[in-house]
Amino acid sequence: MRQVLEGSHAVSEAVRLAKVQVVSAYPITPQTHIMEAIAEFCANGKMNAKFICVESEHSAMASVIAASAAGVRTFTATSSHGLALMHELLHWASGARLPIVMAEVNRALAPGWNIWMDQTDSLSQRDTGWIQLYCEDSQEVLDTTLCAFKLAEAINLPVMVVLDAFFLSHTYEPVDVPEQNEVDKFLPPFLPRINIDMSNPCSLYQMAPPNFYMEMRYSIFRAMEETISKFLEVEEDFYKVFGRKYGILDSFQCDDAEIIIIAAGTTASTCRQVVLDLRETGEKVGLIKIKMFRPFPKKLISDALSNAKKIAVIDRNCSFGVGGIFAQEIKSALYKNKNMPTVFGYITGLGGRDVTPKMIEEIYFKTKEEHYPEKESIWFGINYELFRN
Amino acid sequence: MLLQKQFFGHESVMMLSKELLYISRSNISTEINKTGSWRFLTPIYQLKSSPCTEKCPLSQDISRIEMLVSKGKFKEAIDLILLENPFPSVCGHVCFHTCETACNRKSFDEPVGIHSIERFLGNIAIAEDYKLNIPIISFNGKNIAILGAGPSGLGAAYFMRILGYNCDVFEIKKEPGGLLRWGIPAYRLPDLVLRKEILRIESLGVKIHCNSKETVDSLKKSGKYDAIFIGCGYGKPVKMGIDGEDLAIDGLEFLYKIRNGENTDIGGHVAVIGGGNSAIDVSRSLIRIGATPIIFYRRRIEDMPAFKEEVEAANVEGVEIRELTKPIRIEKDSEGLVITLNNNNTFKAQHVIKAIGNEAENHWKLLLDSKENFSKFSRTVLVNNHLPIVLGGDLVNPVKSVADAIASGKQAAMVLDSFFNHREVTNSMDIYTGGDRKNRSKHITSIEEINLDYFEFSPRRDSEIEEAKRCFNCGICNDCDNCRIFCPEISVNFKDNKRSINLDYCKGCGICITECPRNAMGLREEA
Repeated sequence: MRQVLEGSHAVSEAVRLAKVQVVSAYPITPQTHIMEAIAEFCANGKMNAKFICVESEHSAMASVIAASAAGVRTFTATSSHGLALMHELLHWASGARLPIVMAEVNRALAPGWNIWMDQTDSLSQRDTGWIQLYCEDSQEVLDTTLCAFKLAEAINLPVMVVLDAFFLSHTYEPVDVPEQNEVDKFLPPFLPRINIDMSNPCSLYQMAPPNFYMEMRYSIFRAMEETISKFLEVEEDFYKVFGRKYGILDSFQCDDAEIIIIAAGTTASTCRQVVLDLRETGEKVGLIKIKMFRPFPKKLISDALSNAKKIAVIDRNCSFGVGGIFAQEIKSALYKNKNMPTVFGYITGLGGRDVTPKMIEEIYFKTKEEHYPEKESIWFGINYELFRN
Repeated sequence: MLLQKQFFGHESVMMLSKELLYISRSNISTEINKTGSWRFLTPIYQLKSSPCTEKCPLSQDISRIEMLVSKGKFKEAIDLILLENPFPSVCGHVCFHTCETACNRKSFDEPVGIHSIERFLGNIAIAEDYKLNIPIISFNGKNIAILGAGPSGLGAAYFMRILGYNCDVFEIKKEPGGLLRWGIPAYRLPDLVLRKEILRIESLGVKIHCNSKETVDSLKKSGKYDAIFIGCGYGKPVKMGIDGEDLAIDGLEFLYKIRNGENTDIGGHVAVIGGGNSAIDVSRSLIRIGATPIIFYRRRIEDMPAFKEEVEAANVEGVEIRELTKPIRIEKDSEGLVITLNNNNTFKAQHVIKAIGNEAENHWKLLLDSKENFSKFSRTVLVNNHLPIVLGGDLVNPVKSVADAIASGKQAAMVLDSFFNHREVTNSMDIYTGGDRKNRSKHITSIEEINLDYFEFSPRRDSEIEEAKRCFNCGICNDCDNCRIFCPEISVNFKDNKRSINLDYCKGCGICITECPRNAMGLREEA
């Protein structure tokens, strides 16, 4: 049924429909609405789940790890500092190969305290072994959350569904909330591969000395590789029931594009309009939206960019000392391309600063006019006035 | 190597290839990993003392009593009280509960209502005609004479009997009880309660001889006794030392008359002099016979030695208290009495009752003058000239209260018994006779040692069971089982109602101690 929902509640509805059995979370802006709605579902019987209240995100993740190891479908959600606090257990969840799903609302890290949109929190966790899926609108949030459970359970790795703070989490949009019986067709009850069985006691995750440990890491690496094709299968299953799919990448107007803008999250949505507007004036511009960041779809990206002359990557994040994180990963993906496009890395829109159509247009023309980027990372929209004494 | 491989047991899991899902999982028990070898601190079950018990003159095992009540085990709780106190209901009515003042819970919300739970248990024991179920040593052939059937004399008789002595109690008045019978008004301590609890003492074989004329000398001369106890109550009124003092009625005498069912012929305005419990008892009794009492107290109301609850009750009942006033002269006039006060005002009253305190009879005080063979204890004095005589009660007790008087009798029993048997005198009969409490640490559990995470704020409850559940049970085990539940090595065993720690696996992490809500465990350093 079509409803007007905020992005946060699109997550909550998906969690309800996925018949999650154990939920644990600690509130943090802008994640709070997700958990509020789920807590209500648990309280009023719309969800038959155990909601474990905890004193920190570290404990929230620990709780869902334990529940997942016990063999039930689990969910948590967090943001920013909460995710940072979970860091140790993010490694544990993936190392334990538990299909936990987490909604991650992209928010900036302090100090200066900032509750607004920024990608640095989730991208800082790129090496933890979590699958990361970035969403553009509320419908995609709901659909991706449902797919996340199927994907996680198929590959035995945890999945992070990422949505932009406020632009997505607190913005109301029409969303098609599917019926339970349809969801059940797509997502059967969880059949755990790893679980605690009282009739067949075992110990899990005990010490792994040097002669065993490395193979375990290799196993995670291989599972990540398999995730690309598995995700496409899951999306295909989803498409059959609901008629919607999003792809690992979304190439928009790229066929003859000379300059391709790359973005993730809600920024991609703004870029679509800019691309259409520029196309009307005859510019050969396209957009690639990156949905899957981990595993990073190197091959798909290098293929998609094989004919482009220039790339403009919009990073709403920064790895200090290097630059925008998407730009780095894309450069690395292009390493083997015969026709290497010139990559312009733009860092902009940090801490919730708007990335407007006008700014994207400017980024496009700057990329078009300059032969080569003036710097490896271009900080776009810096107000230098603030630095004057 | 085989063992190691089995133990580490890394394996892939069905449905995904080994290459895609390879984790450490083992069906071999972790028992081969004796984590006890990591240990350098060892947890022990170490019960400790509680502040309420420490403050109880009778050293009743309060935290354990509350624990038993919380589980509905009233009989066991009653036994536990009777081991230390023959008068649970009397104390439940009149004791001014220093235990509650000491209660750790007072810094959390409100102290546990120990007093009302004790009364509840005492009343059950009376109502059910509960038969004593505590160890009583059979007669050892020694005879003890006890002078005075007040709380200290009856206490001494009870505990001497428990320790195996034959006791004869000699009481000058027509009924036993002393101050409990004649001094405390019935609205505070019902007759039945006292009678039943004295009957329980008699049921042990203690003989009480009322209307007795026996004296220390006559008992000595009789040659029948191996020792004598004197319950030296304060029965003689203190003098005010003012003109016209003879016109004032003595407070204890007034209370005696009422308790004896006599007509007091007192009415109208009655000046009550004093600020102790007697003054309040007198005033509240006056209200009950239709008179109008006015208390004159020389210090401020907040300085009154009477129990606060009693002062408040008197207030509610309409007793007027004039602080910072004392009479300097009492005179008769045509209408009644005229009292001249220290502020030179006068006050007209029909009667004056003085309740400024009492003291012991002089001939008892003389006994204290004996310099030879004289041993002083905290609540008693032992004089041993050929025949051991123990003095107890108000005369030698630092605090003059019912519980302290009983405690004095109890100490006398231990003092005399240790005279014959050489054992260490303590406050607790259980400890004295080598019971379980002997093993408890003397350390008194403080609120900092209570894991407050396990307790919720709660006002006092009407139901005794619910109220007893509020008790932290400081320092004792209430079988909450947290130590076993939280042990990460599953090294706490529970068998035959006893917990033990399997040191092969206990790694000394101390989680059991942290999660013990009531400080009933401790850590010992490995030798």
